[in-house]
Amino acid sequence: MTPIPALQPYSPTPADPWDRRKAGHLLRRTGFGPTHAELEAAVRDGFEATVSRVLTGRPETDDFTRTSDFMASERSLPAGAPLPRLTAWWLDRMLKTGHPLREKLALFWHNHFATSHAKVLNARHMLGQYRLIHRHALGSFRDLLVGIGTDPAMMVWLDTTESVRGRPNENYARELMELFSLGIGNYTEADIREAARAFTGYEIVNGSGTFNSRKHDPTPKTVFDRTGPFRGDDVARMCLDNPATSRFVVRKLYRFLVSEAEVPAADVVEGLAARLRDSGYDTGSVVATILRSKLFYSAAAYRARIKPPVEFALGIVRGLEATVGTLPLADALPALGQVPFAPPSVKGWDGGPAWLNAQTLLARNNLALALTSTDDPRFARRSDPAALLARHGKTQDGAAVDFLLGVFLQGDVPAASRDRLLEYLDRAKTVRTPGYWSAADAAGHRVRAVTHLVLTLPEFQLD
Amino acid sequence: MPDRRDFLRRSTLLGFGASVPGFVGRSALHAQPTGAGGSADTVLVVVQLTGGNDGLNTVVPYRNADYYRLRPTIGVPREQLKPIGNDLGFHPGMDMLARLFNDRGAVAVVQGVGYPNPSQSHFRSMDVWHAASTAESLSEGWIGKALKARPLPAFHLTRPNEAAPLALAGAPVRVPSVASLDDFRLRLASASGADQAAQRGVMTGTAQPPADPRTPGLLDFVARTQLNTYSSSDRLAAVGRTYEPRVPYPETAFATKLKLAAQLIDAGVGARVFYVSLDGFDTHAGQGGAVGQHATLLKQFADGVSAFYRDLSERGQKDRVCVLTFSEFGRRAHENGSRGTDHGSGAPVFLVGGKVKGGVVGEHPPIVNLTDGNLPHATDFRRVYAAVLDRWLGVDSRVVLGDGFPPLELFS
Repeated sequence: MTPIPALQPYSPTPADPWDRRKAGHLLRRTGFGPTHAELEAAVRDGFEATVSRVLTGRPETDDFTRTSDFMASERSLPAGAPLPRLTAWWLDRMLKTGHPLREKLALFWHNHFATSHAKVLNARHMLGQYRLIHRHALGSFRDLLVGIGTDPAMMVWLDTTESVRGRPNENYARELMELFSLGIGNYTEADIREAARAFTGYEIVNGSGTFNSRKHDPTPKTVFDRTGPFRGDDVARMCLDNPATSRFVVRKLYRFLVSEAEVPAADVVEGLAARLRDSGYDTGSVVATILRSKLFYSAAAYRARIKPPVEFALGIVRGLEATVGTLPLADALPALGQVPFAPPSVKGWDGGPAWLNAQTLLARNNLALALTSTDDPRFARRSDPAALLARHGKTQDGAAVDFLLGVFLQGDVPAASRDRLLEYLDRAKTVRTPGYWSAADAAGHRVRAVTHLVLTLPEFQLD
Repeated sequence: MPDRRDFLRRSTLLGFGASVPGFVGRSALHAQPTGAGGSADTVLVVVQLTGGNDGLNTVVPYRNADYYRLRPTIGVPREQLKPIGNDLGFHPGMDMLARLFNDRGAVAVVQGVGYPNPSQSHFRSMDVWHAASTAESLSEGWIGKALKARPLPAFHLTRPNEAAPLALAGAPVRVPSVASLDDFRLRLASASGADQAAQRGVMTGTAQPPADPRTPGLLDFVARTQLNTYSSSDRLAAVGRTYEPRVPYPETAFATKLKLAAQLIDAGVGARVFYVSLDGFDTHAGQGGAVGQHATLLKQFADGVSAFYRDLSERGQKDRVCVLTFSEFGRRAHENGSRGTDHGSGAPVFLVGGKVKGGVVGEHPPIVNLTDGNLPHATDFRRVYAAVLDRWLGVDSRVVLGDGFPPLELFS
């Protein structure tokens, strides 16, 4: 196969240097919003060291592992635990993990195998599915696709538990082909009806998906022109035998990592799909190819996605170096339109322009306000731009604005926008304040308000 | 194969165009509510039943013995149905809609509505209904096209998680999604009125769509959405704070959306098209018969629509409003082994309104000797759309649907 130029490795040149913009781009797409220190380190250490660190991640600290595991224990998150507790647990991992890329890909697979607590109504099952997805997030898509068929949350979500010999239920077989592997147009209705019989006889025993041959239909089925006494995992493997599956998955990965604004070029899809197949369906290998490619650092990928709500919210928290609890964040997310563990349908979130409408945009602005104003009881001073700027010694207006723009937008905004922010700070000096405000209150208000304004810039809505 | 969703995404950006923000129409309506088709003030409310509503248990042909044979556990007993004539009965959950049908003649039931070679994918079939086309690549919706032909203020009444429907894509001005008027408030922390004005000045000033035509479409999209939102949030937040419904609405999310529609209609902001959906109709398992999962959904639907109609009726507005209800497909004639039903095809469509010609349109489709157990369609859904476009919204249906879909007679 001839090499595909867009997928050739990027290497910095004087004309196309590794800089803060590129570092911010890489860290945003592979994590949940960089901090000032992370950006500085990425620029200082250079492209190769940074991309390697992103791909391998840092080992988790004992404290992180212990706390996260404890919070996920049966005592702490019992089956009946409400959705926000579950969501808050995952958000906490996203904020603190040493391997953000893996967590990010877990979110990708959650959107791919979109399963909602709204029907499953069992926090243990939802956690179990998270663990399966997280385990294979940068590993084998083959194992993931086969494994998801007997995942208890999925079995409840798409009615596999209801499907027995003589009474097959088509729900799982259909979505397996349409949304999880082949994509529409690559199978027939007859394939679905036959495959549904292969998925009979699966049940949940002691919290695990198990095969019960007495409830299974053992007679031959004809799926994709092959006939045999197939079981569910056979059908999943047959879906993997069709190259349509690799193309379907890499198109989604492209959209997730590279661009929502453009359809991938045919040679890029073919090149990445071939990589996925040749690597034995190793997701990590395709992700590494993308993250090292010229394409990824080109204008075609830069700010070519709308920032999803989770990344919007966590990006602010991380950028502000805030120490907020994640439960109030989980409670705020429904108004922004994305709640992990509760996608709107088996198709997942549409993403792209669908994230933004009048209402979700206002909810984003209002959450940004709550995280910057310190007078919101949910976050109070645990999230405070004035404290951040003081900590980094940015006391002058110009330095403060450049620091904030540097963290949240790597300084890449129109000069006119920067001027407007400075002008606001200037005018705010003379504005009348309530009588009970101290001088520190007034000074704090100025920089908190200007931080909120930075977070309402249109560029900050882009990923 | 071209990826339709990618195509759609791009064209959504293009379709956004260079339109002026400010969808909230200019002050109250001046025209008298005549309610004549295509007149200045007709309102269309599209209700989408998401997931594939089981039409056969919604409008039941109770004299058909095959019905009870195919549905031994979920068939609705005849004595519990709400008869509407023609040997048909509404599901008992639709009691309130049966009353509108029988007492007020305000409900039309079009039977067996669908399209040729139906898809049984939720997403594909929903797209077909939204785009009013079976073309492979679908990028614009039937309402979006109608709004292009005749710019009418439209609202998508929504939950935050709900994406704007394809049906609205292609509209010259992006149709705003609204969940509650209270959420529609831009909050700022400000020291004074002057401070607040300064902050708003920065927000609108920095959200100017870039002049550079090479600028990526996404940034342009964000900036326009921001401007559109800021300019209308104050007005919407002020609308209908004092609204008192004339009849009680049920305490359901669906009814609350319809109440919001009534609020906006009553506020006279010129709103003409509303899009509302009710999700959960994908009843593969444990669907229930006269009571249960499906019954609860139908009750939510019927009670909500009934309250909406009666509220508007009390305000003398019923002749202005038409509610059109559809689902992406019906379900199989025979129940599956999980006491539910799998994806099917043709199903009934409902229209409710003071000027709707009440009654049953078309024959109930046969339910035996079917291809794969799917009910055949008798009427193409585009003939229903054609009636709504030509006779209600006053938009030439051929512009939206092309030729070959003569409108049904659905309005008096």
